[in-house]
Amino acid sequence: MNFKLSKTRKPHKLSYKGIIIEPQIRDFFAGRIWTRYNTPFPQSKVDTYILRNYFTTKKGITIRTKVLIFQRTHFTCNRCQNKIQQEFVQYTCAKCEKECVYCRHCLNMGRVTSCTDLISWIGAKPLTHKKHLLDWNGTFTEAQKEAATQLVSSIKQKRNHLNHAVCGAGKTEILFPAVHYALNRGLRVCIATPRTDVVLELFPRFQKVFPKTNIHALYGKAPKQTGFAQLVISTTHQLFRFENAFDVIIVDEADAFPYTYDQALQKAVHKVKKQDAPVALVTATPSPQILAKQKKEKWGYSFIPKRYHGHPLPIPRYESLWSYDKAIQKGRIPRKLREWTNEKLSNQEPFLIFFPTIQLMEQAIPLFQQLDERILSVHAEDTDRKEKVMKLRNEQILGLLTTTILERGITIKNVQVAVVGAESKIFTSSALIQISGRVGRNAAFPKGDIVFFHHGITAEMDEARNEIFRLNKEGFGKNETP
Amino acid sequence: MKRHEVSKCLLCNNPIDESVTWITLLSNQFPRTICSHCEDKFEPYPAEPIDKTVISLYKYNEQMKDYLHRYKFMHDVLLAKVFRHQIHQHLAKKEATIVPIPMHPEKLKERTFAHVDELLKQANIIYEHYLIKITTETQGGKTREQRINARQIFALKENQNPAGKEFILVDDIYTTGTTINQAKKILLDAKAKSVTAFTLIRR
Ligand SMILES: [Zn+2]
Ligand SMILES: [Zn+2]
Ligand SMILES: [Zn+2]
Repeated sequence: MNFKLSKTRKPHKLSYKGIIIEPQIRDFFAGRIWTRYNTPFPQSKVDTYILRNYFTTKKGITIRTKVLIFQRTHFTCNRCQNKIQQEFVQYTCAKCEKECVYCRHCLNMGRVTSCTDLISWIGAKPLTHKKHLLDWNGTFTEAQKEAATQLVSSIKQKRNHLNHAVCGAGKTEILFPAVHYALNRGLRVCIATPRTDVVLELFPRFQKVFPKTNIHALYGKAPKQTGFAQLVISTTHQLFRFENAFDVIIVDEADAFPYTYDQALQKAVHKVKKQDAPVALVTATPSPQILAKQKKEKWGYSFIPKRYHGHPLPIPRYESLWSYDKAIQKGRIPRKLREWTNEKLSNQEPFLIFFPTIQLMEQAIPLFQQLDERILSVHAEDTDRKEKVMKLRNEQILGLLTTTILERGITIKNVQVAVVGAESKIFTSSALIQISGRVGRNAAFPKGDIVFFHHGITAEMDEARNEIFRLNKEGFGKNETP
Repeated sequence: MKRHEVSKCLLCNNPIDESVTWITLLSNQFPRTICSHCEDKFEPYPAEPIDKTVISLYKYNEQMKDYLHRYKFMHDVLLAKVFRHQIHQHLAKKEATIVPIPMHPEKLKERTFAHVDELLKQANIIYEHYLIKITTETQGGKTREQRINARQIFALKENQNPAGKEFILVDDIYTTGTTINQAKKILLDAKAKSVTAFTLIRR
């Protein structure tokens, strides 16, 4: 190199290797893992950045050949970490004119095949802010305050944490100080939950209390959001699109049915967090496995047995409803259930009735609509789910029949709850605790009816009821147990 | 597309509780790939069509729209198995030569599989290509008028002589009939004895 730098020479001729990074590209790709040919940016641009080493690339699917007695190929999806071999499909790919493989596990986010590249950003980091505003002037109960402090302390120490809080304990507020602390340290925070409903509920609440923070809400069919989000609220499914991205992860409703904090979810969380990032689990019904792990690995722990309004959890009562399914199939609502419904209708109290199957619920809905036409039904695939819940909340309808899909994340003032067929397998003790937890959440209506209509009492039902008794005992001492 | 036979519904992932009866065993049916709940949502196309030269199996309802989206556009090749039994039943005993509507080579590379061929392969139907597609444009984005006035979209494949033969054209979906009619014309102009059509879906 024997040329001299002169002021007249244009500097960009020298720095031919560098390009000016466009902030929107950097902000989008930071922490993400994306299919090369399916980005929101022009392909030529993405290819240029790849050529200049702003990305690393890897094959969508890793193929390993194990030689045991016979040769066997073993696939791993590099986006979703799926290793379940049944979920991989081999086919003759017309592009490559050979056998290629794709992963069905994460297919709905755009197909990943052995012949597509995944790209991850390794260029400059986005700018993070350290001046986030926590605009919240609610007050904590003693127990909430303690739990919030313990959570902040765990995050400071980069220690995992389990926050066990009963339904209606106000667990979202407990997260505020910890999230605020992390954001102000310039850390990137993710709140992950298995359910879209929970994302939709949390997003506006966090937007309201963190008005200066760019927050993204990620779920299937979420609208496009721009800029670098220092706080991401995401379904666990959408986490597949991140890698080595977050400094703090909070998993909300970690045990939300039908998901448990299982291997797949743990792997997903492990993949998206930075190496020493702490993970906090928040749940009302921790599984024995999680409790054991918390003890063994010495995580931080906080426990809130009391609801924020200071009233005990409503105790479910049992009512036999023999052969309810046959009655409904014959076009008749069993007497006790009919009377219960009529009572709520005449008291003008909103109610939820849980059914074990969609089929039974669909047979029942016309019968209930004969009692009052302002009764609707919802299930998981129902596209109007959000609207129907809103209608109940706004008192446009009086009751909703539902499958277990509404067991969490919904809060309706003064709601009364019945479970039909509480003995069914789908109603595990944790599902029943969650369902019971819908009742009496509002300070103005801390009581309410929760009834398990059953065709025989199961161990799961007893377990749920005993746990609720136990929690009330923890919260109120022996004498105050109702 | 080998690997394991299907144990969970390819559409909703619920377990398929298929009890193997003597009838299924003896009649050598294809094992199911979707659950009965999902199957019930597909709506059969009326068996007595006005135009008897085109046979279609299903209506284009929400369920079918979703299926086609996942199969053709999300590229879930495995879903070619879903209708293999029904397609087999309709085409297996036919004497006529089965001719799939072809894709343009560029489009094929993009999709990575020929969706019509794949449906036939999974149903164990022998087919032969007689046509090639010479335009890359798709029928989907056009108005009805544009489609009807479209330029020639197919040509006869080299070294194929349809003269005197009977054919069944196969496509995934029948919308206005332009595709089928154009393909039919090419074969008839080359002295084919007869040409009918079979589609999975009809709008
Ligand atoms: Zn995958
Ligand atoms: Zn390929
Ligand atoms: Zn299904």
